[in-house]
Amino acid sequence: MSIMQYNGSAVVAMVGKNCVAIAADKRLGQRALTVDMDFQKVFPVTDRTYVGLPGLATDVKTLSDRFRMRVNLYRHREERVIEPETFANMVSQIMYERRFGPYFVEPVVAGLDKKNKPFICGMDLLGCLNYANDFVVSGTASDNLFGMCESLWEPDLEPEELFETISQCLLNAVDRDAVSGWGAVVHIITPDGVITRDLKCRMD
Amino acid sequence: MDAQFAVAGKDFAISVTDKTAASSIVKMKHNEDKTYELTPHTLMSVSGEPGDTSNFSEYIQGNVRLYGVRNLQELTPSETASFVRGELATALRSRRPYQVNMLVLGYDAKAGDASIYWIDYLAAMAKVPYAAHGYCGYFLYSVLDREYRPDITLEQGMDIIKKCMVALKTRFLIQYSDYTIKVVDSAGVRVVSMDDI
Amino acid sequence: MARRYDSRTTIFSPEGRLYQVEYAMEAISHAGTVIGILSKDGIVLAAERQATSSLLEQSIGSEKIYEMNDNVVAGVAGLTADANILINQSRLIAQRYLLRYDSPIPVEQLVRRLCDLKQGYTQFGGLRPFGVSFLCAGWDPTFGFQLYQSDPAGNYSSWKAACIGENSANSQSILKQEYKDGSGDGDSSAANTDMTMEDALKLTCLVLSKTIDTAKLTSEKLEFSTLTLRGGKPHIHIYTSSEIDQVLQEHATAIKPTDE
Repeated sequence: MSIMQYNGSAVVAMVGKNCVAIAADKRLGQRALTVDMDFQKVFPVTDRTYVGLPGLATDVKTLSDRFRMRVNLYRHREERVIEPETFANMVSQIMYERRFGPYFVEPVVAGLDKKNKPFICGMDLLGCLNYANDFVVSGTASDNLFGMCESLWEPDLEPEELFETISQCLLNAVDRDAVSGWGAVVHIITPDGVITRDLKCRMD
Repeated sequence: MDAQFAVAGKDFAISVTDKTAASSIVKMKHNEDKTYELTPHTLMSVSGEPGDTSNFSEYIQGNVRLYGVRNLQELTPSETASFVRGELATALRSRRPYQVNMLVLGYDAKAGDASIYWIDYLAAMAKVPYAAHGYCGYFLYSVLDREYRPDITLEQGMDIIKKCMVALKTRFLIQYSDYTIKVVDSAGVRVVSMDDI
Repeated sequence: MARRYDSRTTIFSPEGRLYQVEYAMEAISHAGTVIGILSKDGIVLAAERQATSSLLEQSIGSEKIYEMNDNVVAGVAGLTADANILINQSRLIAQRYLLRYDSPIPVEQLVRRLCDLKQGYTQFGGLRPFGVSFLCAGWDPTFGFQLYQSDPAGNYSSWKAACIGENSANSQSILKQEYKDGSGDGDSSAANTDMTMEDALKLTCLVLSKTIDTAKLTSEKLEFSTLTLRGGKPHIHIYTSSEIDQVLQEHATAIKPTDE
């Protein structure tokens, strides 16, 4: 079992029509032992950009704190909020900075840019960007998520349809993964604001 | 091999640690206190590699108290926990990391609530209502899951602690003869005798 | 006599003075005025922009008022180039604190760290002190709204209403006269004052009109910002030029008497 599977996690992001969604499970464990069922892996970066950090829990916290610091400095210096694509490159840079002693996290960025165009991307633990215009998956349940997303996702979903799709994808994926699940959270980012919902989930 | 767990109610937190200092198969000491008072309202219990536990904890204790002296204002439990985690995370990627598991228990006078922060030797941190480290976890999480309610009183908290000790006594290969029990609440940190619970 | 001792910042004169530091303060007393006024529910910060020209590009949002952190906003009097270094440092200090303790830096700690930096430049050889004074308006959960003034020597002090820059002595006496001090009750975590935000804005306009040597106050020569609480969180607002004109319009009566 690799260190990437030590704490267990599942994150997925999807593109809809003028909206994006990002969802994650809430488990924190030590291999098979569950320690916390309310562990956040998705963090707001701006009002309309979110980042999901599946992987080793210590690095989830270290990275989310470092991203917050860098984004705040960017906002103060530039006197504007960061765009999702710019942020993705910032994340990539921070990840690659540790090329020879990496953070064990595979981040997912989702957001709307200033023209309300959806943006999602994933990356590996070294910071290699992977842009997508449908969905990105990451974490211990990523194989299951791929299967679910391939069969359920379709283009131009409205916010509520997107919520249903991403929720079904995540819940069914984590049910077949031993180390993720135990609660889930979904954020739907629309031009009018973000809708955040907690999902009830199998707790076994 | 240490026993270390904790339970928090709305305005109190209870810490339990065993009193044994062991070296290999030998009990070297029967009255070791594995907790550190960081501020008047914050307590940290530790387990792990013997040298690392005291070295790291004393470093943390010194720095948290220095903050209080310098700024005439104590760190809150959440700030303390973040600081502890940060120091451990920095050490994790150094030449020789500390192997220490911690529970930071605190009462926040301003917010009027008590909290427990679970921090493992990798510096993963979680705010939880009840927690355990090491082998204890395998025995106690089932008991804690069943018994815990968010609105428990201090007496009910102590009952849960007792049930945990019974579980360890019945099913765990290692037998602990004595525990340090400490309560953190608005009055600060106090020791509770084993006879009183 | 002074000539022998004022070339280095680190050497005391026989009278026990540090000339370079005093000269730095002298430089500030010719800089654009910055006024800060504390009220019950927020702080007003206003700054005078000197030497504007119609040819000057106004693309930079503000040059005298900066956000140091989400809970601290600062007005600058003195050398803008020096100030940029200090502003950048203070932003880093604030963010490092956030990284370490996962909570915003208390206002006084940020001011103190900044002043420690300034003090260093009056003591260690070969350097010139920062020619900058700040008015820092901030909010933290423990002490509520706070207003600090700092000078190039590295001193700082807490005020209910303060002024730095040109004519500051004059403005300070107006502030002292017009400021409505608190009656003494109220909890200790909040500043003891009877001023409201509206009073503070009005008083700011009054003081500016009396200290700035101009026929008419306009947004071209001014910068305004407020720090208030919004939903329990500090909220910094840096005014646009049209918003400044609107404020000046609203408080035209306060400004009028000076034209006599």
